[in-house]
Amino acid sequence: MTYQEKQNIVNMGSGILITLIYAMIIYNRHADGLFDLTQDYRSWGIAFLIFIGISIVARIIIQIIFHIFNAIATREEDVPKEDERDKLIKLKATRNSYYAFTGGFIISVIALALGMPVYGIFIVFVISGLLSEIVDNSSQIYYYRKGV
Amino acid sequence: MSRSKIQNNIRRLRFDAGEMTQQELADKVEVSRQTIVAIEKGNYSPSLELAFRIARLFETTVEEVFEYG
Repeated sequence: MTYQEKQNIVNMGSGILITLIYAMIIYNRHADGLFDLTQDYRSWGIAFLIFIGISIVARIIIQIIFHIFNAIATREEDVPKEDERDKLIKLKATRNSYYAFTGGFIISVIALALGMPVYGIFIVFVISGLLSEIVDNSSQIYYYRKGV
Repeated sequence: MSRSKIQNNIRRLRFDAGEMTQQELADKVEVSRQTIVAIEKGNYSPSLELAFRIARLFETTVEEVFEYG
């Protein structure tokens, strides 16, 4: 397995883990009555902003740990340089992830038109954000293995 | 992913150039070894610039390295 494939698997796993843990924490706080996610949209804004911060810091830490473990396991300290094929694969994977997120956005708009409560949009956004990341990483793994 | 219609003679050219390894070729044309592997397998069609760099390294033409059809 190449460095890029391993990195994408780590990214995907960490993305799912961070989102699920944070969603659980927020849901528990909502259940405990600390804030009402069905009425207070300001809470959603704060929750999203905190999530972005936590997500960035957690990913940096996970990437550092991944580099250390990978260097120990493979005895290769250098990170492979990105070449034209890597850039093309990233571009195509990003395109696929945009399709996934746009799909989620359209579904949320249709659901809103059909009478879904407004907070439902935020839930769909979180799910489509996570899905788009999974699509991005799995697309990269696919292109690295099958060709681009 | 369907294979590219572009075939190549890189493996033969490497052999003729003193059994040059994929890593040596990758270092000389400034790409990763995985990219050379993908090109040789027909899983990736390189940019025109990279095609010229490979051809010049083997002191030949792009048509000698890559074939279409």
